[in-house]
Amino acid sequence: MKHQDQYASIFWFILGGIITFSSFYYGVGSFSKPGPGFITFLAGAGLTILSVILFVLSRSKKEDRLSLKQLWVGGQTGKAFYVMGLLIVYMLFVVPSGFLISTFILLSLLFRVQGNYSVKNTILLASLSTAVSFIIFDIWLGVRLPRGFIGYFIF
Amino acid sequence: METLDHLLFGFQVVFQPLTLFACFVGVLIGTLVGVLPGLGPVAAISILLPATFHAPPVASIIMLAGIYYGAMYGGSTTSILVNIPGEAASVVTCLDGYQMACRGRAGVALGISAFGSFIAGTIGVVGLTFLAPPLAAMALRFGPPEYFAVMVLGLTVLTFLAGGSMIKSLMMACVGIIIGNIGLDFITSQPRFTFGTDILLDGVGLVPLVMGLFGISEVLLNIEESLTTRKVFETRLKGILPNLQDWKESIWPILRGSVLGFFLGILPGGGAVISSFVSYGMERKLSKHPEEFGKGAIAGVAGPESANNSATAGAFIPLLTLGLPSNAVMAILLGALMIYDTPPGPRLVSLRPDIFWGIISSMYIGNAMLLIFNLPLIGLWVKILRVPYPVLFPLILLFCLIGVYSLNNKTSEIGLMLLFGVLGYLMKKFKFDGAPLILAMVLGPLMDKSLRQALLMSGGSIGIFFESTICFILFSIIVVLLVLPLIPFVGRFRKRVGEAEEQA
Repeated sequence: MKHQDQYASIFWFILGGIITFSSFYYGVGSFSKPGPGFITFLAGAGLTILSVILFVLSRSKKEDRLSLKQLWVGGQTGKAFYVMGLLIVYMLFVVPSGFLISTFILLSLLFRVQGNYSVKNTILLASLSTAVSFIIFDIWLGVRLPRGFIGYFIF
Repeated sequence: METLDHLLFGFQVVFQPLTLFACFVGVLIGTLVGVLPGLGPVAAISILLPATFHAPPVASIIMLAGIYYGAMYGGSTTSILVNIPGEAASVVTCLDGYQMACRGRAGVALGISAFGSFIAGTIGVVGLTFLAPPLAAMALRFGPPEYFAVMVLGLTVLTFLAGGSMIKSLMMACVGIIIGNIGLDFITSQPRFTFGTDILLDGVGLVPLVMGLFGISEVLLNIEESLTTRKVFETRLKGILPNLQDWKESIWPILRGSVLGFFLGILPGGGAVISSFVSYGMERKLSKHPEEFGKGAIAGVAGPESANNSATAGAFIPLLTLGLPSNAVMAILLGALMIYDTPPGPRLVSLRPDIFWGIISSMYIGNAMLLIFNLPLIGLWVKILRVPYPVLFPLILLFCLIGVYSLNNKTSEIGLMLLFGVLGYLMKKFKFDGAPLILAMVLGPLMDKSLRQALLMSGGSIGIFFESTICFILFSIIVVLLVLPLIPFVGRFRKRVGEAEEQA
C-alpha cells in the first residue's frame, strides 16, 4: 500500500513542473535582469524538488500509512460533497434567480443536512436567515445583491 | 514622553464613537469565535473582511484586530468547560482547566484565565507601545536585500514553528508565492498565469483564498465528521473571583507568561500556540509541585493563557514596523491594510499615525472590554456553546457567499472561493498546513519586487544578500532553522505543536 503523501507529492510535482516550464514562457530573464517569470520559476522549481523529497521520504515511512480510500473512511463524505454541490448550483443560479429565492432554497436544504428539524421549522429558519442577511448586507451595508427575475416585479 | 503623547493621540482616535463601537464589536465577535470550536480567528476575520470595506479603515482594522485577541480570551472557556480547545492556542489549557472544572473549580479557572489574559494582554500592549516606534525607525534603513532576507526568514520561521512536516510547509510556501504572483507583473505589466481571463488580472484576491482555505474547508470537514452538539460541563458556575491563595499561585506564572508570550509572539509563525506550550512546560519545571500539573494546577491555566494573549500583542510588531506578517491572521490584516490603501511598514507611523496609534490604543480598551465580557457574561458564552452546529454551519456558509460576492459583485469570485475550499479540504486531509500558503501568498509580490530590485541593483550578483551585516545574520538564522528539525529534541517539540494544532 502506498503512503498518502506519495499521491500528494505526485500532484505537487506535476504542478511544480508546469509552473517551472510556464515561467520560461513569461520570461525568466537572468540574474542581472530578472524577468516576470523569475520568482515563479524559483518557486515552481522549489515545489518540484520538495515534492521529490517528500515522495522519497514517504516511501520509507511505515507509520500513518493510509490508502486514498482510507482517508475518507468513517466520515460522512457524501454530505460534504452534497454541500459542495449545493454551493456550486447556488453560484450558477444566484444571479438569474435572485438572492432571496436562491438563498432561501439553499438554506432550507443546508439546515436539513445535519439537523432533524421539521419542515415548518426549516422554512422558518431559512426565511428568517435570508431576510435578516438581506436587510444587513443589502439595505444597511449597501451591497448590491442580485435581484434576479423577481427584481423586475418587486424592486 | 513623546510615545505617551502619541498614545494619547491614539486614545483620541479610539474614543470616536464609531471606532469604539468597532472595537466593541471586534472583541465581542472574537470572544464568540474563540468560544465556538470549529471556527477560528483566521476564518472569522476572512469572513468579515468584506463587510469592513464600507467602514473607515481605522475602525475596520481595529475591529479585525479585536477579533484576533478576543479569540484568545474566548478559547479558554471552551477548553475549561468542554475539554475541547476553541482554538489552537488554548490546547494546553484543557489539561488543567478541565481538571479544575471537574473538581468544582470551573469558575476560578475561568476567572484566573480572564484576569491573566487581561494582565498579559496589557503588558503585551505596553511592550508594543514602546518597542514598535524605535523598530519602525530602524526599519527605514532597510533596502531591498534586507527586506527580501526578512521575508525569507519570516517564511522559514513560520514553516519551522508551524508544526507537522517542514517539507510540506515549505511546499505550501512555494505554492503561496506562485499564487501571490498571478496577475500583472509590476515592472512590465505582463499578465502571468491569468489564462486569458480578466478575473485574474489583478491577481488572486486574498478574500476568496482565505475564505476558501479556512472557512469553506473547515465547514466541509466538520460536516464530514458529524460535528453536531458539544457536551458542556453541567455544574453551575460559582466563585469566579480567585482567592488570595489562587493569586499567590498564579501571579508569577502570569507575569512570566506575559513576558515570554510577548517575545515569542514577535517571532514569525504561530506565536500564540508556541508560547502557550513553552509557558506550560516552564511552569511545570519551575513548580514546587510538578506532579499536580495535568490534575488541575491553577498555574497550568494562568501561565499559558497569559502567554497566548501577550503573544497577540507581540505579533503586531513585525506587521506595524516592517510590514511583514508573522502569522496567518497578520497576513490577512496586512492584506486588509493594503486594500484600505495603507500599506503597513516603517512609514505607517508617520503617514497614518491614526491607524498605527489607533490600533495600539484600541488594544488597551479592548483588553478592558474583554475582562468585562468574560466574567459577568460567562453564562451567555456557555449558552452559545450549546448552539447546534447544524444551525451554525449554513450561516457560516452564507456569510462566506455574501462576503465574497460583495467584493466585485461577480459570481466568479464565489467560484474561486469554492475552488480554494476544495483545495483547503484536500490539504487538511493530506495534512498540509494552510498558514505558510497564506503568508507566502501575501508576501509573494513583495518578495518578487525586492528580489528583482536587489538583483538589478547589484548587476546580478547574489553577493548583495551577504554584504550587509543584517542580511548575513538573517540568512545565517535561516540556515540554522532549516537544519534544526534534524535534531531529535526539536523534532519532537515540533511534532507536539503540530498535533495540538490538528486537535484544535
